[in-house]
Amino acid sequence: MATISAEERGALRDSVRRLLGDLGAEADVRRTMETDAGYDAELWRKLAEMGVAGLVVEEEYGGAGAGPLELELVMEEAGAALLCSPLLASGVLAAELLRALGDEAAKARLLPGVAAGTSIATVALTGDTGSWTPEGVAVTASQQDGSWRLDGEASYVIHGQNADILLVIANGGAQAFEVDPKAAGVTIEALPTFDHTLRLARVALAGAPGQLIHATEPVWAAVQQALDLALVALAGEQAGGARRCLDFTVDYAKSRIQFGRAIGSFQAIKHMASDLLLESESAISAARNAARALAEGAPDADAAISLAAFACAEAFSQTTATSIQMHGGIAFTWAHPAHLYLRRARADAQLFGAPAYHRERYLQQLGG
Amino acid sequence: MDDAATPAAASDDQLREEVAAWLKANWDPSMRDNRHAWVTKVVEARWAAPRWPVEWYGRGLSNEQGRIVEREFARVGAPGTGQDRTQLYANTLLARGTPALKEKLIGPILKGEITMCLLYSEPGAGSDLAGIRTRAERVGDHYVVNGQKVWTSTAATADYGMLIARTNWDVPKHQGISFFFLPMKQAGVDVRPLRQITNESHFNEVFLTDAIAPVENLLGELGQGWSVLQTALAYERSVMGEGARGPRSGVAEASGEEPLIALAREAGVLANPLLRQDIARVIAYKRLNALNTARAKADLAQGTSSPVMSLGKLAMSRILHEEARLRTAILGAASLLEGPDHPRAEDANFLTLNAYFTSIGGGTDQIQRNIIGERVLGLPKEPEVDRDVPFREVRGG
Repeated sequence: MATISAEERGALRDSVRRLLGDLGAEADVRRTMETDAGYDAELWRKLAEMGVAGLVVEEEYGGAGAGPLELELVMEEAGAALLCSPLLASGVLAAELLRALGDEAAKARLLPGVAAGTSIATVALTGDTGSWTPEGVAVTASQQDGSWRLDGEASYVIHGQNADILLVIANGGAQAFEVDPKAAGVTIEALPTFDHTLRLARVALAGAPGQLIHATEPVWAAVQQALDLALVALAGEQAGGARRCLDFTVDYAKSRIQFGRAIGSFQAIKHMASDLLLESESAISAARNAARALAEGAPDADAAISLAAFACAEAFSQTTATSIQMHGGIAFTWAHPAHLYLRRARADAQLFGAPAYHRERYLQQLGG
Repeated sequence: MDDAATPAAASDDQLREEVAAWLKANWDPSMRDNRHAWVTKVVEARWAAPRWPVEWYGRGLSNEQGRIVEREFARVGAPGTGQDRTQLYANTLLARGTPALKEKLIGPILKGEITMCLLYSEPGAGSDLAGIRTRAERVGDHYVVNGQKVWTSTAATADYGMLIARTNWDVPKHQGISFFFLPMKQAGVDVRPLRQITNESHFNEVFLTDAIAPVENLLGELGQGWSVLQTALAYERSVMGEGARGPRSGVAEASGEEPLIALAREAGVLANPLLRQDIARVIAYKRLNALNTARAKADLAQGTSSPVMSLGKLAMSRILHEEARLRTAILGAASLLEGPDHPRAEDANFLTLNAYFTSIGGGTDQIQRNIIGERVLGLPKEPEVDRDVPFREVRGG
């Protein structure tokens, strides 16, 4: 991993913030979320130029060689702006899975495109249960005449409809394959998502050809490593989204006048805002702590990630839900951004397991 | 005090070595048995309040250097330093006292020869502290004080109380208050213990009947007591978020396991999925608060202020109430009992009641939310109907 100073990290964050301010404002998000692709090619190209698409990809494959700390900060900005992009699918989940599997040929073949943002990779793991566990895998692979054929289905595949590379987990998490989405036997169906800024697909495989990705350790350990990084990224997105949502809600409470005074002067509103500040600041602490623990390979990294997973999910959900109530009627309209944040919060809270699932894991990691 | 030894400014490493050397030459653990002698030595060597100015027992150290001193003391387990951070009374006196009072009391307070209490709240002035009705009237070279104070801990033994009293009834409420060091050991001061819901009596009611405070015991100008109080409250709050009392039974978790997990295991309910969720949730509240505190300290060390700092007390209230609720849920019917034979029930029941110590004491959670909303988030204040009215005309009750 490259050595990156706190100043460089801050500069990266500032550049991402500026770029999203220019090309990822609310109007851009609304325009993008109505497109089929669900991401803006121009913004994605600029993010890639900035090194964000390949942030955690090693430098020898064209990446920035950064780690969880940088990723978490960038994701705070992505969450704040409701960035529509394949970053989580391609630059985080798929890139980290390839790195963790350690198949040098596959890395050399696939990672440069991922890092450059010119090819989009994603991971097809869970079946219709939506459970990101070995039991959730619903694809089987079998070898015929020296080549692998895959059958079954994977759902909730993030940006699956945009993918150039499918990394398919099969046989209960024991094996990983590279699958060409255009190959015979591969059917990709875009799923309608409640969060319009998200793209999900269902992948059906019927004797589809797959190229085995060799693993230097058990495949599930590599999957877990990729999921850990994805959870840290998601926690950053949730924390950043919660804080931005609180900020515009507080701004509104200062300017909206009823009964001859700003509604933020009423204790009913003020107390809601104070409680949300505790939630969103705790989310930031949890997300950054998880990033630090993962970056350092700390012994409590597992617990730190689980904690961030449910704490940030609930903080984002609670903040966005309460925000609508605090705004009143204006936020019940489609034109107001509050529901976009609520939709993202609800999506993020389910993407890699619900809060209750991560809480249970947390307790187990603490020895309970 | 003796100002001969003006300490030289030193690098952090030199300072660390100097403290360590001094402790090596002066401290041994048997001195815990004579705390006064030890602390006196610490004060005289200027380690009790090293961030303070040289003319007042200090060394003029920075906040971070003060931490270095504290860490060296902590390393050997020696008490007495860090009073510039934690000694509420001495800090308030140093900031706002008259030279005569400082000369007389700062040294004895640092050495622990004088103990103190707080005479702020009244039966009619709790959350609205500026609504106090205890009066102080100038008669010759002293003030005569009449009224009633409440929630005063250590009042029975204290030598002085930090008192707020009304000295002007014809100006709005915040402007007519003055701040005194009131001598407690006098006929006009009557201290009566107050039995709490926990069945303990840590607090007292203090009845003041023609109690006397000399004029030099006024802190700040006459009528500026509210601003002196803000100074004092800031010191109090800065130490309050750092911790609260845990279970009082003292039943140790021998395993070193997370106490709530150990309790559920012992009660045979660790497999209950609903309780498992609840346990994880409460442990998470605690962990998140620790992470917030660490982040606030790191921000502070870098010179940036953090909104997280102000959230500690509110977070702690939730932790304490939730933990007490969860302990009760884990114990179930066993929480019906009390007494020494039922230490787990004692813990749960005590914590349930004592949680209010934090969620009411030092500003209720609701007042705390107002403060966070206004000072951190910048939300406008609630209109105050009594703000610009002479206090004489303000409704009380």
